[in-house]
Amino acid sequence: MIDEKPTFEKAQQELDEIVGRLERGDVPVDDAIALWRRGEELYRSCVALLDAAEGRIEELSRDSS
Amino acid sequence: MSKVESKVYGDRKVFAVSAFNRGIASWLAKLPEVWVEGEVTELRRNDAWATCFLTLKDPETGATLAVTMSRRRFDALELDLTDGERVHINGRPELYEAKGSLTFRAATIERFGLGDHLAALERLKRTLAAEGLFAAERKRSLPRFPRAVGLLTGVDAAARGDIVAAISARFPPAWIVVAETRVQGDAAATAIVKSLTALAAHPAVDAVIVSRGGGSFEDLLPFSDERVVRAVAACPVPVVSAVGHEQDTPLCDLAADVRASTPTAAARLVVPDLDELVAGLARSRERLGTGVRRLVARDRERLERTAGQLRAAPRLLLERRRAVLVASGGRLRVLSPQATLERGYAIARNATGVLRSVDDVEVGERIDVQLAAGSLGARVEKVQP
Repeated sequence: MIDEKPTFEKAQQELDEIVGRLERGDVPVDDAIALWRRGEELYRSCVALLDAAEGRIEELSRDSS
Repeated sequence: MSKVESKVYGDRKVFAVSAFNRGIASWLAKLPEVWVEGEVTELRRNDAWATCFLTLKDPETGATLAVTMSRRRFDALELDLTDGERVHINGRPELYEAKGSLTFRAATIERFGLGDHLAALERLKRTLAAEGLFAAERKRSLPRFPRAVGLLTGVDAAARGDIVAAISARFPPAWIVVAETRVQGDAAATAIVKSLTALAAHPAVDAVIVSRGGGSFEDLLPFSDERVVRAVAACPVPVVSAVGHEQDTPLCDLAADVRASTPTAAARLVVPDLDELVAGLARSRERLGTGVRRLVARDRERLERTAGQLRAAPRLLLERRRAVLVASGGRLRVLSPQATLERGYAIARNATGVLRSVDDVEVGERIDVQLAAGSLGARVEKVQP
């Protein structure tokens, strides 16, 4: 599904953290804009990862011998 | 017991068939009741029959024994037996006299070793629990986004299809690595351990579902096998146990990081809901925008407030100064002689200054007298000490 780095999970986690920081509001405005840019970038990469992922089913050999 | 009749031909003693059979039958009847162990095959029971039949098979050699039992007794046991089950049968051998065939007349039937299995399981459970294998603090949380999900399943099992369908429905881009494995029989435990190890070793697998559809207690036994339970506990990636139905508790359930009682529950545990995920991302992005706009607005507001203060500053300073000045003026007026003059006093001066005594002036000297309003030029005509 998703095997690029950084992983989807990491990206989404960072995005959530950025949203949290911006909402708490304890950041200077210059940093806020940089954070927002980073957040947008993360959002886009998450969406791109989802778009790129394709479902697949892989078989391990019987009894994995 | 009556003596078995026989005829004598010369020196030969000969039995009629039925007499022989009766003889054997009565001899067999003297044998004590015994327990026989074997596998049930060819179980035949019919509501219309007084007797039910089954063939007991020796699983090692394949030797068989015909067994009969009163249907009423069989029904009373409520065993719900099926072919292939191991049982202990208590009874005695009997000869069907019309046919001369030996059957085993069952008085009671017990499922083999159910009690033994349960006791052994209970012991194993206690041992493993004492080792801390089932401890809550060992449980890992599942990754929210496994790169791939490992699925251990029976060969051609319905559970496989159900779980794959549930995962794909929730998260269509899921990558599932399937290991079809023998999950029943003697070799099952080894096979399960092998598959589990292989799945966990797959470079992309971040979580494994160990699955098995419902089955009898015996069917699920491999999932309580010590080797399997230890392998589940030691698995380097989190394990979801989806073995049997809700009411089943194979030991691998206790060793797994989490238990799922249905394929849907298993899917919910290992993959995120794609729709929710996309909606959540969109929400995050919106909050991102709102957050930064609010911060910028707050900053601008603060800036404007500061600018306002800056503009107001000189005026404020001036006003403060004026106030100080007014206060000083008041104090000044109180101290000035004008107020005293207003009350009718006058100040007399000559060339040397203010006159305080008659000694300061001569008769005939010109002096200056200051009144509250204006002043007089005067001449001293007389002095009186």
